[in-house]
Amino acid sequence: MELEIGSFRVRDVEFGPTTALRAGILSIDRRALVAYLLEDRNLAAANVEIARPGDSARIIHILDSVEPRIKVSGGPDFPGMLAPPDLAGSGRVHRLAGVAVLGTASIPGAADSQGLKEAIVDLSGPGARYHPFGQMANVVLELETKPGLATTEAIAACRRAGLRAAVFLAEPTRGRTPETVETFALGPADPGLPRVAYVMPAMSEGEIHTTFFYGRSVQSLPAVVHPNEILDGALVSADYWIACHRSPTYLYQNEPVVRALYGRHGVDLNFVGVLLCRCLITSQDEKWRQASQAAKVCRMLGIQGAVITMSNGGHAYVDQMLLCQRLEQAGVATVLGVDEYADADGADFPLVTHVPEATAIVSVGNQEEIVEWPAVERVLGGSEFLAGNAYEKGFQRRPAEPLSVALRQIYCSTTQLGWSTLRCRAY
Amino acid sequence: MGSVRVAHYLNQFFGGVGGEEKADALPEVRTGPVGPGQLLQQLLGADATIVGTVVCGDNRMAERPAETLPVVLGLLRDLGPDLVVAGPAFNAGRYGLACAAVCAAARRALDIPAVTAMFPENPGREAVDRSVLVAVAGPTAATMKADLERLAGLALKILRQQPLGPADVDGYLPTGRRVNEFADRTGAERMVEMLLKRLRGEPYVSELVVPRFDRIPPAPPVPDLGRTTLGLVTTSGVVRAGNPEGIESWRATKWARYPLAGVEALSPEAFTCVHGGYDNRYIRANPHRAVPLDVLRRYLREGRIGRLHEVLYTTVGNVMPVERARRLGREVAQELRDANVQAVLFTAT
Repeated sequence: MELEIGSFRVRDVEFGPTTALRAGILSIDRRALVAYLLEDRNLAAANVEIARPGDSARIIHILDSVEPRIKVSGGPDFPGMLAPPDLAGSGRVHRLAGVAVLGTASIPGAADSQGLKEAIVDLSGPGARYHPFGQMANVVLELETKPGLATTEAIAACRRAGLRAAVFLAEPTRGRTPETVETFALGPADPGLPRVAYVMPAMSEGEIHTTFFYGRSVQSLPAVVHPNEILDGALVSADYWIACHRSPTYLYQNEPVVRALYGRHGVDLNFVGVLLCRCLITSQDEKWRQASQAAKVCRMLGIQGAVITMSNGGHAYVDQMLLCQRLEQAGVATVLGVDEYADADGADFPLVTHVPEATAIVSVGNQEEIVEWPAVERVLGGSEFLAGNAYEKGFQRRPAEPLSVALRQIYCSTTQLGWSTLRCRAY
Repeated sequence: MGSVRVAHYLNQFFGGVGGEEKADALPEVRTGPVGPGQLLQQLLGADATIVGTVVCGDNRMAERPAETLPVVLGLLRDLGPDLVVAGPAFNAGRYGLACAAVCAAARRALDIPAVTAMFPENPGREAVDRSVLVAVAGPTAATMKADLERLAGLALKILRQQPLGPADVDGYLPTGRRVNEFADRTGAERMVEMLLKRLRGEPYVSELVVPRFDRIPPAPPVPDLGRTTLGLVTTSGVVRAGNPEGIESWRATKWARYPLAGVEALSPEAFTCVHGGYDNRYIRANPHRAVPLDVLRRYLREGRIGRLHEVLYTTVGNVMPVERARRLGREVAQELRDANVQAVLFTAT
């Protein structure tokens, strides 16, 4: 399986009469994009805005983020979501590097206990460095769904809009030559190199929050997945739960651990593949079964070492720690990526749970640290913070006002996939 | 900064009194630095002066702490110190425990800062108060010079009120405080790097060390439920409609006490659920799914339970800091004890 990712570097995004890419400037025909999105009859309204690095702008109600991409050969865009679930990971895909589509919406009735959580980013000042989108041009979709829809249907319409907009924006690159082309293939490696797997539990809990693998929720029986599938749109996020440790579609398309392992493949290690698992499994027996099965698959594949990440939090740590325990017991050396709940002052015990086998941990930061963000001129995505977050004191203000808020509410600030350099250190 | 006063604590061995045969030595005070204090004084320089050294036998301190510690504390107080330094204790268990106790007492009773040094596996480490800084020391006195350098460096930072660097940089045992920073490589790169080190058998440093937690042994089985007074406690977040006590949906700071006398069942009109960590729709639809009062009432009628303590204790168990959970647990346990409750049905989620 060989995948070519061709990159078109975008320096700026602007509205224009047609959607085109010229000399690093992406021009968007706003009316055409809105009309395209509104072909989805579950959407009542759509607006498109642009937010650039350095703008005094705050984006709220973020649902998902997607990198604009178009498959130019070797299969459909987002199989299972926008097309039948053909295999992803082969052929050529074009990407607009430096651009993200951020889908935003406030869905009536969805801000309940298990519903949508607030997720925010700032594009300037101290808030711009805690998330991937402070360094890129963001195309913000402000979406409104038709009244009377079930919450799941309304959210599905917003999810679809993000993916469709991503394809729409990359369309002008079809037939053009990318500035750079990276080729991803698990070529033969020296048999003396250690065999390494990436054990990747993706969140799925309940009807609203899940991760789609070719359009279906991830399952707890580990799937052996080619890393190219991850990079090529097989995974789509539907995690609208705690903002800081969401794994968005954007970070699946640019999966940091997959890229880091690919970077060492054939040199320091033999990257055998990805074990796609589930976290936030709701029954203890099923958690147990998954961990045992993952360890079995690792043994059958002769795996000697594994990176184990996770997504979102709470009892997802139980899934991760059980995987660590079973793999270690099967003789697989593990390294975990975790984020921490160490309280605002950093003094609380930082993990939900742990096992004695977890001896190699990378921390991607304490999500409870409070950060202070100044007032902004422009708020995109909505006009009030989501009501379901009323317990968060910082959210008792208007969104444009100065904000004192925990990293927990900042989109992707402590995503355990490790895109960022943020970490937490012992004092 | 003028020269500040440092008081040093040593055991009988390092204080020059004698070896194991003198481990029962009574506390005594010497003027100026003694033994390792000589080098410590050199390292501290002119800014800090070791005005006196309190020496005490390890067994004396270990076996008669109640009478010995106040004497040590009095001798230290009489030296009028701005800082108490104890040890290094290396991996000597009794000595480590003594250093921990002396530093904690100095901190609490004298309200002055204290610093000690010991090997990370010294049992004294567990006894150290969070407010006391512990410099990393080797297992034996073979590393005395380097250990004293770290200890002196930390002592001077405390005296100069300079902010401490990360534990692994400044050479002290982590105090439990975690601080965010931006590293030079991404988390994913660090994960792969750490894995390669493990696979090559090279030393690596975990960015988070999982500690030993309290193990709470389960209570023995209730011998005869038919003669038992049963209490009802829940962390499921079931509260009275409208949540009049304002229990938070996560990181709760309080618990509530609801009288159950005369309450036959928990109706969804009178009770709701405010837990923010799971899909609580099903509990809100029928609170008995979390607090099975309906079944308990039936069991009472059938005589399967002797008596019900007619109170529901409730809070939200969701991302609650461990220290707070301990406090809330103690408060509720005290009420249960006062009411002679013999067993508790404790439902979580």
